[in-house]
Amino acid sequence: MEQLIATLVFVTLGFFFGRRAEKKHYTSLIEREEKLNALPVIASRIPPYDAPYEQSLVSGSVVIANDYFKAFVAGLRNLFGGKVRSYETLLDRARREAVLRMKVQAKKQGADYVFNVKFETSNISGQYSKKLPIVEVHAYGTALKKIA
Amino acid sequence: MEYQNKQPPEGINTSKQHPFKEFSTLLIAALALVFIATLVLGVGGGWLAGKLPISAENKIAALYDITQHTDTAEHPKLAKYLQSLADKISKAQNLPPDMHITAHYMNSPTVNAFATLGGNLFIYRGLLERLPNENTLVTLLGHEIAHVKYRHPIKSLGRGVLVGIAMSTGSANAQILGDAGLLTVLKFSRDMEKQADKEAMQTLQTLYGHIDGGAKLFKIFHEMRDSMDADEPAELFSTHPLDQDRIDSFTQTAKQKGWSETGNLTPLPDFFEKAFE
Repeated sequence: MEQLIATLVFVTLGFFFGRRAEKKHYTSLIEREEKLNALPVIASRIPPYDAPYEQSLVSGSVVIANDYFKAFVAGLRNLFGGKVRSYETLLDRARREAVLRMKVQAKKQGADYVFNVKFETSNISGQYSKKLPIVEVHAYGTALKKIA
Repeated sequence: MEYQNKQPPEGINTSKQHPFKEFSTLLIAALALVFIATLVLGVGGGWLAGKLPISAENKIAALYDITQHTDTAEHPKLAKYLQSLADKISKAQNLPPDMHITAHYMNSPTVNAFATLGGNLFIYRGLLERLPNENTLVTLLGHEIAHVKYRHPIKSLGRGVLVGIAMSTGSANAQILGDAGLLTVLKFSRDMEKQADKEAMQTLQTLYGHIDGGAKLFKIFHEMRDSMDADEPAELFSTHPLDQDRIDSFTQTAKQKGWSETGNLTPLPDFFEKAFE
């Protein structure tokens, strides 16, 4: 019974706080993406050769913790299969945040482009992975700055 | 002019659906699944366990040293009396030859008695103290022995074990048997209780030629609940039929079968009350 109440409290807390955090994060993501959208981020491996470029590795990484509500829904989802919608937003936020951080780094260097952008996603919750996954998303690429 | 990337539209990589909708749909489906699985496994387990030979049931019961939990040895006279009644009732109920009833006395104020695996009956002082005569005691013993006769303890254990195995998925060891508990009160279903009540009435009629004193047992339970100010659970949620229904069923059965509801009540032996001091 106590376990049930504890689960209920955690799931409710997770729902309200998780949702609030997610909403806030999305608002901030869209705002910052608009600010930084003048910097092209490209997945292509072939850099432009119109001019000599200074190259450097830029990366952005973010660690996002799950909440009990999402974990609970995902646990239930395991029974039936299908899209784990609760984790889709979690990972979407993480990817976009990672790209933004990478862009900030590139912008500081005065880069004109970021080429060959890639993502790494890893679970860093270790042996507690069954309980609450904590996810790291790492975006990295090659920043190119035109040599004047 | 500065280069401008187009902001991609939202909601492609994510779903716009309110998360609570997914949560509630999944929760309802999961609960339904658990409910159905428990029902199927429970009924299946009970049915399978009912097929176990009595000798196998006795072996399971022998895994536990029951006597160390009872106070039978300290009260030999009372225990002997209870055992002799149990034997008499076993005969009246035509138990199969390999089914043996063992009565155990528990020196505790709990108002209770129950039957468990291997034909073991546990009778508590708290209940014995309240019994007015032998007829009511025979009703009690007859009811519990009927549970053994219809193999209710092993059936309800079978339910618990199969559901337990399914829930612990894979760790099907002796621990589960322990968890289901031999010495804990096994829950019988309402149908099982009704069947046992019926058999107890039949026993009374066979032994005494009337069923007087039988309904008194349930009046005792009812009074006890009254004095404890405990409400009876609604019938829907209770495994035992309501006290009043059980009392009424004595009158009904007597009418149906033409049995007498009144008759000479056999007093309890003299040493009976002294045994509790």
